[in-house]
Amino acid sequence: MTRGRHRVAITGVGLVTPLGHDSTSTWKALSAGRSGVGAISSFDAGGFPVRIAAEVKGFDARAAIDDRKLLKFANRAHGFALGAAEEAVRDAGVRPERSTATRWGCVVGSGMMNVEFAELGDLHRQCCVEDEFNAARLFATETLADPIAFCRSQTNAGLALLLRRFGIRGYASAVHTACASGGQAVGTAMKLIRRGTVDCVIAGGFDSMITPIGLAAFCLLGALSPDNQAPTRASRPFDATRNGFVLGEGAGFLVLEEWEAARRRGARIYAELAGDGNSLSSYRITDSHPSGDGPIQAMQRALADAGAVAEDVDYINAHGTSTPMNDRSECAAIRAVFGARPIAVSSTKSLMGHLIAGAGAVEAALCALAIHHSLMPVNANLVEPDPECHLDFVRGRPRRQRIRMALSNSFGFGGSNSCVALRHPESIDE
Amino acid sequence: MTDGDCSKIFVTGMGSICAAGKNPDAVWETVRSGRSAIGPVTQWDASTWPTPLAGEIGDFDPRVLIPDRKVHKLLRRTDVLGLYAADRAIDAAGLLAHRATLDAEAAAEFNDRTGVYVGSGGGAYHIQYDFFPLLTVADGDLGTFGRELTATINPMWLLRTLPNNVLCHIGIRHDLKGPNVCLTTHSVSGTLAIAEAAAALRAGEAERIVAVGHDAPIEPQMILYLDRLGLLARDAVRPFDVRRSGCLLGEGAAALVVETAAAARDRGATPLGEVLGSGCTSEAEGLIAIRADGDGPARAIALALDDAGIEAAAVGMIVAHGNGTRNSDVSEAAAIHRVFGASPPPVTAFKWAFGHLLAASGALDAVLALMAVRCGVVPGVATLGARDPECADLPVSAAPQPTRSDVALVLSRGFAGMNVALLLRA
Repeated sequence: MTRGRHRVAITGVGLVTPLGHDSTSTWKALSAGRSGVGAISSFDAGGFPVRIAAEVKGFDARAAIDDRKLLKFANRAHGFALGAAEEAVRDAGVRPERSTATRWGCVVGSGMMNVEFAELGDLHRQCCVEDEFNAARLFATETLADPIAFCRSQTNAGLALLLRRFGIRGYASAVHTACASGGQAVGTAMKLIRRGTVDCVIAGGFDSMITPIGLAAFCLLGALSPDNQAPTRASRPFDATRNGFVLGEGAGFLVLEEWEAARRRGARIYAELAGDGNSLSSYRITDSHPSGDGPIQAMQRALADAGAVAEDVDYINAHGTSTPMNDRSECAAIRAVFGARPIAVSSTKSLMGHLIAGAGAVEAALCALAIHHSLMPVNANLVEPDPECHLDFVRGRPRRQRIRMALSNSFGFGGSNSCVALRHPESIDE
Repeated sequence: MTDGDCSKIFVTGMGSICAAGKNPDAVWETVRSGRSAIGPVTQWDASTWPTPLAGEIGDFDPRVLIPDRKVHKLLRRTDVLGLYAADRAIDAAGLLAHRATLDAEAAAEFNDRTGVYVGSGGGAYHIQYDFFPLLTVADGDLGTFGRELTATINPMWLLRTLPNNVLCHIGIRHDLKGPNVCLTTHSVSGTLAIAEAAAALRAGEAERIVAVGHDAPIEPQMILYLDRLGLLARDAVRPFDVRRSGCLLGEGAAALVVETAAAARDRGATPLGEVLGSGCTSEAEGLIAIRADGDGPARAIALALDDAGIEAAAVGMIVAHGNGTRNSDVSEAAAIHRVFGASPPPVTAFKWAFGHLLAASGALDAVLALMAVRCGVVPGVATLGARDPECADLPVSAAPQPTRSDVALVLSRGFAGMNVALLLRA
């Protein structure tokens, strides 16, 4: 099925992460092994069992997007998305024009419904009578009088803002498969160019669950590291002492273009977006099978889709959440696919936490930068590797090495597994 | 092209549930006979509301729809509907019966080659209300909120709110492990799930996919917001009518098993129809605004025709989005004329009968469109009185019309200026 399909180039990268407000500062912090994790500052988390997260600090979307009217409709995560997408488009040096707008697409991995905590408080004060919800009292609330509150809460609100901001008039969609969302969005976008639906796509993911409700939800599941006293050490994927993930927030965006068109305009190509693998674990809502069943198929499909074999891969940006189950299952999956062959693996969540619906897109972007800079990001905080996670981890410092192909894994609650394959632009057989 | 490749995509099973019935035949019968299943909201006291009407599933009993008792604590109303429709479609397609005939290795291969594509409404306001007891306890103090959290809230709360719950549970219930996606693209979600499923099959990514759209948007906060935005009707949904005043919400789900012709033939499945192609466009006007000239839907239709490799004249009927709002209907009529000229094929729309199912609407429209082209009957829009002069040339009527061919066009539109056109053949 590979004959005659279009090749896809990554020509622009944009990031807003706990490590920086753009891709340059994020990459610099990542290369220096600087952690973005700290005590939560955006609200008083003092009473929560977990009081640490990887926050995007001091980001003002107005600095990135000169459109105050548009930003009125943007929540925190939408601001990250607009900022990262703007950087990606500038970085690529191409943007939708009147004559090309219908040939541009946009695919995003977006988070769950986002009702501002203050709005929920307003509804509670007005509508809760002796703990019973009284719908008739909704009429009196400020939240219901505010159409912008409605717009911000809609699941495709972020997509709407991006389409409007960039004037994109071709294919668009928002996907949500929990922590696999960003990876699936990037994979979906690649296929649009392959099948000729559009010529260029702005693809990415964004999320911000560092809110009282978001933090509460993950605390309740017992999924977060409780290491409040040592925040920068809390996220330690594949370490024997790992005890949960650290919540992050932010956005990652890529500009994807049809390969030949990108070459013709002399674009800088970070990497080929070469393959997408996608599977369901169908085991438990929150876990993959200990054998790696599910993630195995995702990686195999990504390789097959890229027309590659295991020997072509030099680096895997692991899902590596730092939860006991995920990391063990993922290692089993990597061993099943790659056998005894040493393959460099790291989880950048060790420094920037878990960006949930944004994670897959941010990490795909990091793979593009890793290929571009020939530098594998470090898996920080890996002191005592779990004997069950025996792989060639990038420990201590980043590893300088040419990367012919990189894989980015993202596995979501609900059992969706995404793996995208990126190829070095000079590794392509013409 | 022969049946042996994967360029031909068959529909081999369908399931649906909404106010008008719990299976495709029942919904079809209601719509065809001109009965509306819309009535007063019963889930809360809405008697004094400006819009107390919706297409509610009257005898909704989750434990009857999904007999598996264990899963219910993790499912919302919308998830139950999605799972139910998917189970019915999987049954109708005979997927599990077929798998039971395979040896272990072939069954594992079957699971790996069977995907799940879902269009989901995403979140719901009322799920957030689960935090109200904690907010009462906290009384405005976040410290107390954090400390009392684990004593007050169900530890599984997050898992009940996942927009991809239906995708997850279809997989777990039936052990399906193929490619998957959950689209949260408002009212085009279900249509796009079918379109993307067909595209994935064409690309050889799977042999069959269960495509589902599901939504249950009838809740107080949603209805009030939509009413304040002027999008809801006072009495009935009257698409293309001069007196139309807006839309009414419904709830439900629809599912189609789509399969490559080769895979369907190999297991001896009977095709119910074919997915010919699709087109997807945006208008870039913002969340709610749409263009008056029908630019978005017109381009989506043109792309779908191109994707299917057919001429506009081959289309035998159109299921319009027809949500009954002032702007959407007029621009949709303009789009239809832009593509089909002065005399388009017969047009109908179904929301008058069971309300707007948002993320599920396009999937249910697709099921009904296939039934229409199979019978050769385009059901009428029973609420239609006098056509809006701006839609005067649109061949839409209160009475049934004959189809012009066995090809149906389904048009879905949603927030963010999204338009998806889907072409199906009986």
